[in-house]
Amino acid sequence: MSLQLQSSYNKDLGQWELTAKGEVDISTAPQLREVLDGAYREVKADIFLRLDELTYIDSTGLGVIIGAFGRMQESKNRITLINPKDNIKKLLSITNLDRILCSEI
Amino acid sequence: MTDILKFSVPGKPEYVGTVRLAVSSLANCAGFDVEAVEDIKVAVSEACTNVVCHCKPECERFYEVACELGDGRIIISVMDNAGGYDVSKYQIPAIEQPKEGGLGIFIIKALMDEVDIFSELGLGTSIKMVKYLNRI
Repeated sequence: MSLQLQSSYNKDLGQWELTAKGEVDISTAPQLREVLDGAYREVKADIFLRLDELTYIDSTGLGVIIGAFGRMQESKNRITLINPKDNIKKLLSITNLDRILCSEI
Repeated sequence: MTDILKFSVPGKPEYVGTVRLAVSSLANCAGFDVEAVEDIKVAVSEACTNVVCHCKPECERFYEVACELGDGRIIISVMDNAGGYDVSKYQIPAIEQPKEGGLGIFIIKALMDEVDIFSELGLGTSIKMVKYLNRI
């Protein structure tokens, strides 16, 4: 029940590439918020968040992503979720967040 | 014939994951398929998260999770005494303007077969969630 986050800025493409592994819930969502906000404060660019190894996310985690999405919209930047597992796809679909956060689904 | 299991849980974020694992293990043993176990896991976690988020410092430090197994279903009740809220003021989240909060109850209702919320202002809230075996 932990969350590992990695972030790197791809200068060639001018975008953030983040990876989340583990679980995002009420106890780990603040970590996700810190990494998303920290990256965006450093360089205002689009964020691609890889979820291949994220096994669980709940409404607090989705809320953090929605918050980042809202703040990034002011500068016309986007946050995109890449390759979520089926259980996470289901939540994104129920909440209709797939329409705004997942270009690939 | 039903079995009832009760957990008394401190209202702290770090224990929501423990409840999630315990209840998904119960649902798995009760014969729910992988997708249904996942639904139950998310719904219980959301209900616990609601309690932890709304637990004021002066409220009781524990909440209760009760699981009733049997008769082809699982009934999970999450009960707190965190002061309650006005259920009629709950608004379904607007799809076009997503907000950071308010998704929890929406997700619970989407994933479980039956959901009842009882809340009494000044006292507490109880969320009762039912999932049936073999329901498509």
